[in-house]
Amino acid sequence: MALSYLANISRYIPELILCFTMVGLILIEATYGDKEKGSSKGYLFGFAFIGLLSSLVYLVQALPMAPVSLFTNAVVIDPFSTLAKIIMVLGTGFCIYLNKVSKDIYEDMKSEYTIIAVGVLIGGMLLASANNMLILYIGIETLSILSYVLASLKKHDSRSSEAGLKYVLYGGVSGGIMLFGMSHIFGMVGTIQFAELIHVLPTLDNSKLLILMPSFILFFAGIGYKISCVPFHMWTPDVYEGSPLPVTTFFSIVPKVAGIAALVRVSMTFFGSDSSVLQMSWVALLSVAAALTMTVGNVSAIGQRSVKRMLAYSSISHAGVMMLGVLVLSDIGVKAILFYGITYLFMTLVAFFVTSFVQDKYGNDHFERFNGLMSKHPVMAICMIVVMFSLAGLPPLSGFVAKFNILSAILSKKYYVLAIITVLNSVVSLYYYMKIVRLMVFKESESSEGIAGFSFTNQVIISALCIPVVVLGIFWDKIILLADGAKIFIK
Amino acid sequence: MSGTSNLLSWILWMPIIGVLGILLIPSAKEKAIRVWSLINTVITLALSLVLYMKFDTTVPGMQQAFLIKKSWISQFNIFYHLGVDGISLPMILLTSLLFSICILSSWTIKKQVKAYFALLLFLQSTVFGVFMALDFFLFYVYWEVMLIPMFFLIGVWGGENREYAAVKFFLYTFFGSVLMLVGMVALYFVSGQGVDSFNILALSGGKFSNEVVNMFGYAFPFAKLFFVALFIGFAIKVPVFPFHTWLPHAHVQAPTAISVILAGVLLKMGTYGFLRIAFPIFPEASVYFSDAIAWLGLVNVIYGAFCAMAQTDVKKLVAYSSVSHMGFVMLGLAAMTVQGMNGAVLQMFNHGTSTAMMFLLIGILYERSHHRWIVRPDGTKGFGGLYTQLPKYSIVFIIAMFASMGLPGLSGFISEALIFLGIYERFTTITVIGVIGLLIGAAYLLWMFKRMFFGDVVEECKEYTDMNAREIFYMIPLCVAVIFFGIFPAPILNIMKASVGQLVSLLAKY
Repeated sequence: MALSYLANISRYIPELILCFTMVGLILIEATYGDKEKGSSKGYLFGFAFIGLLSSLVYLVQALPMAPVSLFTNAVVIDPFSTLAKIIMVLGTGFCIYLNKVSKDIYEDMKSEYTIIAVGVLIGGMLLASANNMLILYIGIETLSILSYVLASLKKHDSRSSEAGLKYVLYGGVSGGIMLFGMSHIFGMVGTIQFAELIHVLPTLDNSKLLILMPSFILFFAGIGYKISCVPFHMWTPDVYEGSPLPVTTFFSIVPKVAGIAALVRVSMTFFGSDSSVLQMSWVALLSVAAALTMTVGNVSAIGQRSVKRMLAYSSISHAGVMMLGVLVLSDIGVKAILFYGITYLFMTLVAFFVTSFVQDKYGNDHFERFNGLMSKHPVMAICMIVVMFSLAGLPPLSGFVAKFNILSAILSKKYYVLAIITVLNSVVSLYYYMKIVRLMVFKESESSEGIAGFSFTNQVIISALCIPVVVLGIFWDKIILLADGAKIFIK
Repeated sequence: MSGTSNLLSWILWMPIIGVLGILLIPSAKEKAIRVWSLINTVITLALSLVLYMKFDTTVPGMQQAFLIKKSWISQFNIFYHLGVDGISLPMILLTSLLFSICILSSWTIKKQVKAYFALLLFLQSTVFGVFMALDFFLFYVYWEVMLIPMFFLIGVWGGENREYAAVKFFLYTFFGSVLMLVGMVALYFVSGQGVDSFNILALSGGKFSNEVVNMFGYAFPFAKLFFVALFIGFAIKVPVFPFHTWLPHAHVQAPTAISVILAGVLLKMGTYGFLRIAFPIFPEASVYFSDAIAWLGLVNVIYGAFCAMAQTDVKKLVAYSSVSHMGFVMLGLAAMTVQGMNGAVLQMFNHGTSTAMMFLLIGILYERSHHRWIVRPDGTKGFGGLYTQLPKYSIVFIIAMFASMGLPGLSGFISEALIFLGIYERFTTITVIGVIGLLIGAAYLLWMFKRMFFGDVVEECKEYTDMNAREIFYMIPLCVAVIFFGIFPAPILNIMKASVGQLVSLLAKY
């Protein structure tokens, strides 16, 4: 029994590496003296990067492997989750780097950030692989509890503490609601294993399915809160704004990708096979939620003064777009989501990196701080322009291709109204993305003083992150094949 | 013919080679950048002339000798697919001609020379892309990418209110094109996601008459619904009333060369979109909506003309006259007869040359006066008696003005006459009212001319110098074109005849 429990454990190595990395980081951190500056803890960051890198290498070489399930079917390792994990690991790596160079994190908190970020990552990876209600819940809670700490990392700042508190309250309530929904589902079908649920669900008659519907909505509340979809998004802007910038960057990538991955797996498992009342209601629920998420996110982003807050709202709307890929309930949607995730990672990273250095220089990230960036740091301004246009979905940039894939997924099911809503949202989003471009290029700068954060290394990193944004917009043949190959495994 | 098989690619990518070259030149060497850009556009022009020479005017549709088709994104059956026919060739010629002239007219640009010329050449490549693409996806990409250089060209080098104009232009056209995007992707699935599902030629021919779209419990005919989506996309570009409000701002705020490109080439992309995509793919919807298109075209003609008459800014006046003249093109398209369509395509070319002249001339004047008021806001005259001060300028201005007015013997006349010939049978009322539009056109142009060129010489006009050699040099080709095609339009009509005939016979089936 013990042996079969540990069968295929070799496929779990990426997560295990990260677990050891986290423990190792705690030990290394303890060896530094109190006076040591956070950003100079070379061993700590080195160890973190080595851990992430080796995990990444394992994940990449595991990508073409056949799907397996672990721990008596509680966790499934398939190409889909592997690709999602690759996105998360990359995101975490760059966020940790941003944490190291950013001034928005207290020096003595930089090592804490690193440790906790790795912990959140482990939770996210668990969530992406969860094949069992309990594991899903554990994944979400690991992700959330550590995130609360991250949000209030700036402990002397009242807004950061407020962010943490808000996050805890929302997270606790929605976690409870989700658990309630799960127990209801368990009461109806008698199992928490996804693999068994697939077989039980089609056998239920309509009256039982109708009873199940509310419990699925409760269940959805938990995931919806994690990906900040409307109407569970209220916490997002405040938390994103209150948190230090590297934390915001991290929040808009890792938990979001993990949440979307979990949503994909849950939707495909429960509703992917047959067209029942349950499936129709789920699709209707997701459609309304996705349309609202996109629209509310975009419309609220227009009036913002702070770039970080604008990016936070825009990340809500991007989550809405990714949800569109979910409600298609087919491989074409999964492919579109993965492609979207990959491009979203790079776009978000560049946008937040640039914003971070601008904020470090001026102490705030109001739009006017970007005035005349083109004349001061042309390369950075061009990267930012590329990313802004890409986020808005202009060809030939990867954001457009990602939107195109999502559009083709929803139009393959002939959801024309949703398609129209999506593209109109794209127009709205162009307005506020263009605002930054406008300020950078058309306006004069207040002072000719350069921004110290844009050192040579940082410029190289930002430019390198910008390259995929352009290249994936023109030569996306290979990546779409990769995303297409990353099939979700349902058993 | 192996020699010509890559000609289209060369024309398309030549400006990009120019951009790369500019990036290598240090930004301090402004002269070198200008000369290099000029050389580049002249090479492109020469290549387009080669294309014209090799073009077989007897073949309708796409010319096999020039077709290029390479796989781009195999997953979605997207191809790098270029071709040229009788409708796109005049546009390609016009584009390469106008861009060379614009480089010359931009000689006086002082601000960020390097970026300006790089963006201008990049814009040229994207415009070529629109006129050559036969893959709907490729077409869309070029259609959209074009907005980016335009946005910066208007926003950085434009007039006082340039930001507003650039943003409005960008958002408005982006709104139009996203609707087209939905139509494009929907077409891809309706046509079965096959090898030809993004192929504009293969989609053509009215294959979607029986498709329906289920929305809100109703079944809408697919073709009509998506014709409307495409119509809005293209109509914003033309611009058709009521989607024209971006145009006066963009035109007035844009620097001279960009106004020329905008009026001369970009507006034609809208009508080209009708001819290449909307009409061939949804012929029966086009015929169904042709009445509406004709009436909208008529509104354009009359409303644009009256708006032009009311302007006190001469550039705005010409901008509104573009609205009016593009209305004639829409009338010709709505006629769906051989004469009407030929007239429309010819008008696209002729308006390109004549309005380019007008904008260039206004630009030349602006460089001397730094204002464009016919009548200043305080009621005093902005210009007066220019005729005695700038004789050479006045002669060229008269040619341009009469050409855009449609005086017989100059190019505008032939195309407008053809349009009215073509439309008369189907829409007699519209024809009669439309001819009044011509009259108003003559009125506002002559009135403008009277106020600016005759009468007492305004004091500050005495200091203006006449056109210099460079300015005269770049006006010559346009003057020649306007006069030559006014007397002898056959070279262009021959090119387009076969292709237009093919489209008309397709539409005649419905």
